[in-house]
Amino acid sequence: MSNLPTLLTSLSSIPGPSGFEHDVARRAVELMRPLTDEACVDGFGNACGILRGTQPGALRIVIAAHLDEIGFIATGVEQGFLRFSTIGSVDPRMLPGREVTVMTDPPIPGVITCLPPHVLSEEEMDLAFPREDLFIDVGFSHEETVTRIPVGTPAVYRAGCFPLGEDLFCGKAMDDRACFCAGLLALEMLQNAALPHDVVLLGTTREETNFGGAKTGTFALDPDVCLALDVTHAETPDGGPKNTDCVLGGGPAVGYGPNMTPRIRDALIAAANAENIDIQREVMPGKSYTDAWEMQVSREGIPTAILSLPTRYMHTPMETISLSDLRATADLLVAFLKQPHGEEVAE
Amino acid sequence: MIELIKELCAVPGVSSFEDEIRARIEREIRPHASDVRTDAVGNLIAFKRGAKRADHPLMITAHMDEVGFIVKKIDDKGFVRFAPVGGIDRRTVIGKKVLIGKHRIPGAIGLRAYHLVSAKEEKIVPDIADMYIDIGAADQKQAQSLVSIGDEIVFDSDFVEFGDGMIKAKALDDRIGCAAMIHLIQKELPIDCAFVFTAQEETGARGAFGATFSIRPRIALVLEGTTAADVPSVKGHRRVTCAGEGPVLGVMDRGAIYDRDLFERLRHLADNRGIPWQTKRFIAGGTDAQAIQTTAGGVQVAAISVPVRYIHTSSSVASIRDCHHMVELAEAFIHSVAEDPGAKSE
Amino acid sequence: MELLKTLQELNACFGPSGEEKEIRECIRRIAPGRIDEVRVDALGNLILRRKGSGPKVLFAAHMDSIGLIVTHIEKEGFLRFGNIGGLVAENILHATVRFKNGVRGTIVPDQSADRTKLSLNDLYVDIGAESEQQASSLIRIGDTAVYDAPANLAGGRIISPYLDNRISCIALLWAMEQIGESANDLYFVFTVQEEPGLRGAKPAAFEIDPDYGIVCDVTPAGDQPGSKHYGSSSLGGGAAIKVMDTSVICHPDMVDRLRALAEAGSIPYQNDVIVRGGTDAGPIHTTRGGVQTGGISVPCRYIHTPQEMADAEDVTHCASLMAAFAMSRLPARS
Repeated sequence: MSNLPTLLTSLSSIPGPSGFEHDVARRAVELMRPLTDEACVDGFGNACGILRGTQPGALRIVIAAHLDEIGFIATGVEQGFLRFSTIGSVDPRMLPGREVTVMTDPPIPGVITCLPPHVLSEEEMDLAFPREDLFIDVGFSHEETVTRIPVGTPAVYRAGCFPLGEDLFCGKAMDDRACFCAGLLALEMLQNAALPHDVVLLGTTREETNFGGAKTGTFALDPDVCLALDVTHAETPDGGPKNTDCVLGGGPAVGYGPNMTPRIRDALIAAANAENIDIQREVMPGKSYTDAWEMQVSREGIPTAILSLPTRYMHTPMETISLSDLRATADLLVAFLKQPHGEEVAE
Repeated sequence: MIELIKELCAVPGVSSFEDEIRARIEREIRPHASDVRTDAVGNLIAFKRGAKRADHPLMITAHMDEVGFIVKKIDDKGFVRFAPVGGIDRRTVIGKKVLIGKHRIPGAIGLRAYHLVSAKEEKIVPDIADMYIDIGAADQKQAQSLVSIGDEIVFDSDFVEFGDGMIKAKALDDRIGCAAMIHLIQKELPIDCAFVFTAQEETGARGAFGATFSIRPRIALVLEGTTAADVPSVKGHRRVTCAGEGPVLGVMDRGAIYDRDLFERLRHLADNRGIPWQTKRFIAGGTDAQAIQTTAGGVQVAAISVPVRYIHTSSSVASIRDCHHMVELAEAFIHSVAEDPGAKSE
Repeated sequence: MELLKTLQELNACFGPSGEEKEIRECIRRIAPGRIDEVRVDALGNLILRRKGSGPKVLFAAHMDSIGLIVTHIEKEGFLRFGNIGGLVAENILHATVRFKNGVRGTIVPDQSADRTKLSLNDLYVDIGAESEQQASSLIRIGDTAVYDAPANLAGGRIISPYLDNRISCIALLWAMEQIGESANDLYFVFTVQEEPGLRGAKPAAFEIDPDYGIVCDVTPAGDQPGSKHYGSSSLGGGAAIKVMDTSVICHPDMVDRLRALAEAGSIPYQNDVIVRGGTDAGPIHTTRGGVQTGGISVPCRYIHTPQEMADAEDVTHCASLMAAFAMSRLPARS
């Protein structure tokens, strides 16, 4: 568990686009089982691990991190090549010449087509390919492709993780499996904490499409406090201060805005200050585009906060995070969960 | 009514920063309600017993929050960078006065002087991400001692009565609705009612979901402010609604198709009492009804709105007569529902 | 229940989103087979229940149609309108429409509008009135109108307005005819207000709290000349088993179950992925703690135009597959 690169690589490598998270959810449950009193895949497909509190009737705090990744889905076959659509918001600039894995059993490798320079005009050379003109080359004849890959078969970026320098780590689906790993690290650290309240780590599904897992999982668990863990943009040379306030290595980012209940957010900040954990701040003035958006309005409404892991190159196969940020996120979660929570929810 | 609207408009309450306006409203209504509470998202929910008991109270709502901004960062020269909270037309933002945070630090949304702007540039309005607020700080450090990231930024705009029964203020949408609710809750009512002052309507009817889930009404009446574009440069249907021509009865907007039977009921009530009314000439916008209508087992929704010119700016304008008519019609509606609930479900 | 006649009967009913009373009463009248409970909820959804001791299955087909709503009457007597559900200017130009009270009109463009970039704001309904006053005596602001076009058979296909979603309502009614013994607790829900935003299904599903959901709607086919392949199915290819639309990705277990039932029953089917368009499956699958939901759709061309087209055999296959699902042994929800 403590070998973070190994853990990240193992979760990242499992194909699991929104709606097809079965294998990732199962693995997530396996990882949670030794750390919780009860771990299972819930009725909707979310991975749910409950660490029960010592006090009967105590509060229930749910930490959510989504397991799904963006991906593709086969919509037809043309001359043996797969026509495809996208699941979640895929950056079209990433596609030409990209290696993918088609999720048949066994999986089939493929390459997304691109036209060579000599058949494009000068103007065309500057533009990204429209998705409709791209296909997945699986190397089979038309009949083979039709037989092996039915319409509706999903696909993902080809797996592969690697370190960058001392502290950075790069691979697909860091959004949001890296945050799920932070949750696992936190559960590990809470093993003998004997907290009075219930802590639930919820590996949600379908965040990239309709936040369906957060909506249903939260309804089913009926929690008192919700915390969504997701990634946020970190600065890059072409995406500087105007686009984001966060940097890799600056620590997790605490969210400010209508989707975040002030006293829960303030509790996170107090926990960070008490443990000397560096944090950054991220203002989200409207829809947060995280699981928290659905969690906050579940049933009669729930106090909610967002904690984000800075990430470069979001929604590409080379999402890059800082391992020290990840560890700090886990530390902050532990500090937050160890706080007394009774008075926060009292009306 | 005018005094109450004036006082309510003066209180800051950008979406998710409703503590002050909620406290102000609660002070007014507490003596008149049997049960008052604040829920997890920040809605203020007050039950008022009526002459007739009801299994499901009639839900009446208006939102407490107003559009505004939030501090994103304090730059290295001490200027404040900000983002809009709720839908604000960025063309109405430059050169306006604001108040920031709990200490109400005054600021001016600055811009490069007109003399320094080329003819081409003057036609283009910058993105809000490029705008800044000047709080007169000497440097970043001083600015940081006055305001913080995540602070509320609210328009600084006073209340003016002008013309023929017209009022100007910030946040007429929806302090007018709140004032109407306060007037209604002070009356003797014929049926149990739940008055919900919702939070975070401007950011997506966020408060209405949870309030409806807990109250489970059969019928809900939304009291709102709606766009009026009745100015000379706008023709025909694009005027949407006209200030002074009566409250707007909800038929359809982008968020909900209002219950037909309830619309007809409101229409009859208005006609019978000689209350002027109008409908939107253009389908646009949304209210808390979009959250209320499909929550839990479903709710029949109706809406009465006051036309507001320059809505979502620091100088919105409405007709005080429309405000009075809104209260009158809403009260008639409550009595009508008490007499004949006309429940849809079989 | 014969296809063309039933379709004509349903199309004769007025039922744009928000005003489904007429179509609801018609469906209630013609619904076949044993019905143990009838309920109409606050939004007007029609819920017909056939009781069983087994898991609850919710079948949903929306009965509302797209339409126009009058927002303003110009002084020359022309009507301005807003859209109820998805309307595209170029698709409705010069269509005939009819109001609930029988008044008819035609959709015409503003004469100075740019024809290459027509929007709904450039259009009026001309009901032949000479003035605002005359128009007001015929029509009120807030009145709604629907397409007034005929339904015809063409070979093995059917051309008609409102195949979205009347053809699916018929498929569901046919399924109700075919369902024999079933242990499952069956809810046949004809939903309202799907077109403006999948609104009716949400509270209906919340109240019923089903174990499984099957939505019957039309699905855009991708088999016309120059198709951009927004949909993967073809007319005549069989019942379209939904994998994905913009509101839902159907659970693989449900998709596998439907495929297996189709194979076992020799029901022609095709896998359906569409890139544009959502259905009632969206709100249903995220009800409460989640509902395993599938879609059985009728492939359709020219959706939301006055003359849509579907294949009659596909309708039969959809009905058969729905009946097979209703009669199948389903595991209790975990």
